[in-house]
Amino acid sequence: MGIKRYGVLLGALLLASGAALGAHHSFAAEFDANQPIQLRGTIAKVEWINPHTWIHLDVKKPDGSTERWMIEGGTPNTLLRRGLTKASLPEGTEILVDGYKAKNGTNRANGRDLTLTDGRKLFMGSSGTGAPRDGKDASEK
Amino acid sequence: MRDKNLVLFVALVSVLLGPSTLIAQNGSAGAPPAKPYTTPKTPWGEPDLQGTFSNRTITPFERPANVNGREFFTPEEVAAMEKAAASRNGDEGRNKGTRGDVERAYNDFWWDRGTKVTTLRTSMVVDPPDGKVPPLTEEARKRQADEAKRPAFRGAGANGRGTDSWLDRSTFERCITRGLPSAMSPTAYNNNYRITQSPGFVAIQIEMLGGTRVIPTDGRQHVNSSIRQWMGNSTGRWEGDTLVVETTNFTDKILYRGAAENLQLVERIKRVGPDEIEYRVTITDPTTFTRPWTLVIPYVNTGEDMFEYACHEGNYGMEGILSGAREEERKAAEAKKGSPQ
Repeated sequence: MGIKRYGVLLGALLLASGAALGAHHSFAAEFDANQPIQLRGTIAKVEWINPHTWIHLDVKKPDGSTERWMIEGGTPNTLLRRGLTKASLPEGTEILVDGYKAKNGTNRANGRDLTLTDGRKLFMGSSGTGAPRDGKDASEK
Repeated sequence: MRDKNLVLFVALVSVLLGPSTLIAQNGSAGAPPAKPYTTPKTPWGEPDLQGTFSNRTITPFERPANVNGREFFTPEEVAAMEKAAASRNGDEGRNKGTRGDVERAYNDFWWDRGTKVTTLRTSMVVDPPDGKVPPLTEEARKRQADEAKRPAFRGAGANGRGTDSWLDRSTFERCITRGLPSAMSPTAYNNNYRITQSPGFVAIQIEMLGGTRVIPTDGRQHVNSSIRQWMGNSTGRWEGDTLVVETTNFTDKILYRGAAENLQLVERIKRVGPDEIEYRVTITDPTTFTRPWTLVIPYVNTGEDMFEYACHEGNYGMEGILSGAREEERKAAEAKKGSPQ
């Protein structure tokens, strides 16, 4: 344990520095690599908050009932700068989520990949914004 | 995770550039020519640094081994690095079901690490001349070994030392601060700053985690040394067109690479062109570093707005980390109870 802690600390010391790769918090501490999950649902709402956005998803279960899930995304500031607005992810949009379940057993997951039902990956945008198409992006014309 | 990424990055750069390119270049070939530039003045006659800037960059923090000690990349090397960064989507080399995959979270649309080097420098560390952070003192190494015994974790990165309490998580995860000079250094996103001035004051608003540094340039002295603050106590002065900021009085509750209350910073901030500020900081702590060292980070004008951060209100991550650990403990206890002797 001592060695492990020392290692973590050393890592933290190195990372505190400004190496240009850090997120706000540890995802591996929050989500479980051993519990990959796939969800298909419709967007109920998007929490447009720092340090991370949360997409609320209504997922239909086999018995017909609906379960609410929360999917962690990136900082809204970056999304805004990339041209995404609240209108980009309207309620009712159906998406597929490929991610990892929260360790705490609640209906939370991180969104490793978010895909629209026609197969387009949400936010992958190497051209344009990558946001759902709304006719505003040059790449759509 | 970031160490691994750094290794991957260095490896990628090596592959892209090839060893022959690197060996063939020596000295400071490729250094940018000095450009004459006149800093604009505020209406009251002080150098005008105002604007919104981003310091995101793909310049390595320390000098990579594969540039053979060169201070500057060649334009060809930069073109290759920037091309690689622009085509990156964050999905490369990921293996599902691994801790590393979870840690990388999502693809590059969500990240904002930058795709430009901005300057040709091979490292942000410019002094010592080898581009590496100087070794820690013996005293600092001893302190590191005792860190786990402290009541609260002092690291400011994106990882904690454990999950027993929020006090085991980093000051970054706790929405407090990344500290200095980390808060002035680039990270994965929200690398945005706004500089505003009034007579006798310069304010630097920091987007990541929020907060504004208000730096007096009116000749006042540092506050009493018994007053200790997360961001220290800063006083500024103008040397020609350069804002020189000295910061002392740091608290012992946060670490910067092993340094805490004895940390002293001298920042030198100046415009080097209409759209670029050079940020230079010299880091001194004889109880931690074997010598002072200096970072240079370019800040590029964005003309964009700043957004508020409001970190605590939405910090579900902290709750998720701690409650996740409790759930894992509960499961482990249940499994132990249920298992045969």
